[in-house]
Formats: sequence, C-alpha cells, structure tokens
Amino acid sequence: MTFSSLLPLFAAIPLLAAGLSVVVRRAWLDRALLLLVPVGTLIGAVALLIHHQSNAVVAHSVGSFSGVVAIPFVSDTFTAIMLAVTGFATLCASVFLLKTGEDRFRFATALILLLSGGVNGALLTGDLFNLFVFVEVMLLPSYALIAITGTWRRLGIGRSFVIVNLVTSTVLLIGVGLVYGAAGTVNLAALAGAASEDPMIGLAVTVVLVALAIKGGMVPVHGWLPSTYPMTSAGIMALFSALHTKVALYAIFRIYSITFEGAAPWMPVLLVLVLATMLVGSFSTMASKTLRGALAFQMVAGVGHILVAVVVMTEASLAAGMFYMVHHIITMGGLILASGALEHTYGNAKLGGLSGMLGREKLLAVLFALGLGSLVGLPPTSGLWGKAGLVVSAAAAEDAAGVSGAWIAGLTIGGIIVASIISLIALQRVWSTLFFGHVQETYRPDDTRTGRGDPKPLTADVKCSARLLAPATVLIAASLALFFFAGLVLPLFETAAHGLMDPSSYIKAVLG
Amino acid sequence: MILAMTVGVLAAGGTYLLLQREMVRMVFGVGLLSHAANFLLLASGVPAWRDEPLVNRMDMAQAADPLPQAFVLTAIVITLAVTIFMLALAVLGHNDDTRRPPETGETHEK
Repeated sequence: MTFSSLLPLFAAIPLLAAGLSVVVRRAWLDRALLLLVPVGTLIGAVALLIHHQSNAVVAHSVGSFSGVVAIPFVSDTFTAIMLAVTGFATLCASVFLLKTGEDRFRFATALILLLSGGVNGALLTGDLFNLFVFVEVMLLPSYALIAITGTWRRLGIGRSFVIVNLVTSTVLLIGVGLVYGAAGTVNLAALAGAASEDPMIGLAVTVVLVALAIKGGMVPVHGWLPSTYPMTSAGIMALFSALHTKVALYAIFRIYSITFEGAAPWMPVLLVLVLATMLVGSFSTMASKTLRGALAFQMVAGVGHILVAVVVMTEASLAAGMFYMVHHIITMGGLILASGALEHTYGNAKLGGLSGMLGREKLLAVLFALGLGSLVGLPPTSGLWGKAGLVVSAAAAEDAAGVSGAWIAGLTIGGIIVASIISLIALQRVWSTLFFGHVQETYRPDDTRTGRGDPKPLTADVKCSARLLAPATVLIAASLALFFFAGLVLPLFETAAHGLMDPSSYIKAVLG
Repeated sequence: MILAMTVGVLAAGGTYLLLQREMVRMVFGVGLLSHAANFLLLASGVPAWRDEPLVNRMDMAQAADPLPQAFVLTAIVITLAVTIFMLALAVLGHNDDTRRPPETGETHEK
C-alpha cells in the first residue's frame, strides 16, 4: 500500500458517494455528501501538493498492469493545483446550491457528485482513451443537471448542449482511434515527443486537440457556450464554468506540451484562433442583455487568454497561463454566484431590469467591482498578475526566438491589451447599469408556478442574505488573496510549468 | 477498404442527418456518427480479420489487438446511454422544433 495507490480514490469516492446518495434517500445524507466530498478532494489535493514538494510525479497503474497497456493515474504539481482549485470551486458552488435549495431537485446531489468524480478522473488520467471516458462521466450528469435546473427554456437548451457535446465527444473518440492507429498506444507518457517526430501522429493528436478546443469554447466553435450556460441556474453555471471548459483546457495544456514538445507546425493557426477568441469574447460582452450572458462571453475571452500560454510555449508563459486559469476559475465562480444571489433574491438579473442597487446591496457592489476588475486585470485582484505574467513571458520569448518570436509577441501582447480595454468598456457598463441609475420601487420575484411573478413593492427588508452571499465572498476573497500572496504561490506554478516542459520525470514515473 | 468506406458512408449520413432540424433525425445522425467512430477504432487495431485475443489458446501473432475492442465496447455503452437520454429529450420537447422555438412556459410581459 503506497501513497500512489490512493490516487484512484479521487475519482472513486465521489462516484461511490453518488451511488450512496441514490440508494439512501435522506436529505441530511445528501447535504453531508455534497459538502464532505469536495472538502475531501480539497484536503487530498493539498496533501498531494505537499507530497509533490519532494516527489515531482506520483503514478499508479490500476490493477498493476505494466507499461503502455495500463490505465494510469498520474499526478504532478499541475494536476494537484487543478484538483485543489476545482475542489474549492465545487465546494463554494455546493454551499450556494444548498442555500438556494436547488440541491433538492431530484437526484441533483448524485449528479453533482458524479460530475466531480468525472472531473477528478479526467485531471488525473494519463491515457487518452481514459480521458475520453472521464470526460463522458463528467458530461452525462451535466446533461441531466441542465434538464432539472434553471428556467423552462432549459429543455431546448439542453438539446443543443447535449448534441454539441456528444458530437464533440465523437470527434474526440475518432481522434483517440487515429492516435492508436498511428502510434499503437494512447498512453501520454509513451506518446512523449511522438507528434513532432511523425506527422501522422501529429495529425491524429491534432484531431484530439480540436475536439478539446470545442469543449473549451474556443472561437469559432464557441457559440454553444454563451447560448447554453446562462440558461441553467446560477449555481449549476458556476459548477460548469469552473469544471467543464477548464478540464478541456487542462487537457490541451497537458497533451500539447507532452506530444509536441514545443510548438506544433500549425502554431500560426492557433495564434490567429486564440487572438480571435480573446477579441470576440470581450467584444460580444457588450451586446449581452443579461448579467450571466455577459459573464459567459467573458468566459470565452478567458479561454483565449489561457491559451496564449500554449501559443508562446515557454516555461514562464505556461506558469502564467496556469495562474490565469486558476484566477479565472475562482473569479468567474465568484461572479456567477454573486449574480445568482441577485437572481435568487430579486428574481431577475437582466441588465436594465435591476438598477440603483448601490444603496441597497453595498457588499454586492464591492464584490462585483472587484470581480469584474479582476476579469479586466486591474489591481488589487489576481487578474493583474495573470495578464502581466502572460505579457511579460510573451515579451521574454520574443528575445529568445528572433523574428517569428517578435510577431508572436507583438500580436499576443496587442491582443491581450485590446481585449482588456474592450472588456473594461463592456464590464463597466454592466456594473453601472446594475448599481447606478434610478432606485427601484417595485420588483418581480420569481413565482414557482408561472415563472415571473407580479410586480411587488421593494421594501427595505428585501436584501440578499449574508449566507447567500457567503460563497461568492469567499471566492472573491480568494482572488484578492492570490493578488497579495502571489509571491507565495508562484513557485508552485513554476514547478508545474517545469514539469510540463520537461516531462522526463513524468515518463519515468508512468512507464517505470 | 470496406471498413474505410463504411466509415465514410456512416460519417456522411450522420453529418447530413445532424444538419436537419428535427430532434429525432439528429439523434439518428449522432447514432450513425458514433458508429463511424466505432468502426474507425476497430480499424485502428484490426486491419484484417484475425483470431480471438485469448491468451494460451491462440497464436499471439494471429490474435487480434484486444485494446481497440475494449475501446469500442466502452464507446458503445456511452453512446447507448446518451441516445436514450436524447430520445427522452425529444419526447419531452414535443415535435415543435420544426416550425418555431420550443415553448418556454414563461410569460414575460403581462
């Protein structure tokens, strides 16, 4: 019994807990599981992070099969960071779901636990086919979660979410089949450097990466994300934004860096798409009519920023990209939960539907100001270090790589700055329409029977309760903490980026 | 060659059906596409007919590669589950997606 053989528990415990929640239908058990399982993930991930200070990579092959036929569970610093952050975000979203009572939807607890089990598995797996399976384990409960929560529009939306993700999964599966046909293995450690040596394997890996880019919500295949996410409830959208696209991006980081070992030959295409993702995402924010619609487009913009790291592809840029990913999970979760608190209390978070909230919701005004500022990249929030790190690493890569590097650096830095300015213009409008303007005297809270209820006078006792705001406050506070204590956590990200750029210890741990 | 052409025909048919507007046709389209993916997976490990991959019974040189078969088995199970779910969605939403957007059940302006 070694430390590494405990790795599959990250996937197994949430799955077993989901089974328990289905078999034993008790409200207190559901609540306990919904809180304890993410806490357990968080504790386990922190233990892994501490363990990785001395051992760079921990690997376990399920059933003690050896070499390339095994189903490996691998953890390095990057995995442990992602496990910790997704566990934390899941915990905050779960607390919010408990407060709004959405966990009482039929089987909601079991579905959320299945989802987190799939996410943990997808983060830990070291094998492409296993990645496909865990991505499916993560998506199947999401289909059901969309169908049981949110407004009535969810059913039509659920259809497009299911079809987009299912077709993408089929493309992913085809990619995995092509990789197996070309390379004879789907084990990531065995595929190290294979794509840059053999163009056929390179093409096959690219099919896998295209599928992951669709799942991540990259332009021009981002349209499904802003049209489906805002239609679920806020708590579920916070879960999805923290888990789904980020797992796809994690897999892109991992697969691209290990199989190509440096930039791929089609990198210019990636550069153009990443620039388009940043600009389209931030520009579309301007036209959103709802609060969470605007946030969904900011998620697309965030995907572009995170993938800048892959375009530049140096150790410093990967560290900055990971930092930006962590910042984005935390900040986006906080913002979505804060807008969820607004929706739950006032029945509406349309831009223009609510106004003059500044005197009424002071804490929310501060949370939104900090969170939206963090998306733009303003101090004192984590977004600043993420964007600054990306810009600095792109500039440093230019010095190293010469003429082509100058193009990459100029375009990415310009793209980040322009996207940030557009985001700033769009997001200050969001904030000011919510918190400035005429002070409302009536509001229309949700009616369980007909959807939107009749207008009611807005009295002083109608306020977002402190308990409802607590998860959002914790997440935004974490974003602030990432700003002030960046010096403490940055070495972790540098270690993680080093592990991606130099996979020798990863290969040694998996293949023995 | 037959395997490759089957994959091509299935993928083309699946894509055509996916571009239709009715949910049930899209479900069939997804079904065809995933069959194409399954055949492609088989083709990656079994280019010609070989013996069953049973240790100590077959000559290892003649045995088929068991790994793609395991892949296909897993993929079939996943597709089956999702197809059932999508058919349920198709039934729940009625057949109203051909003419107008689905009914939301909400009244916005009153």
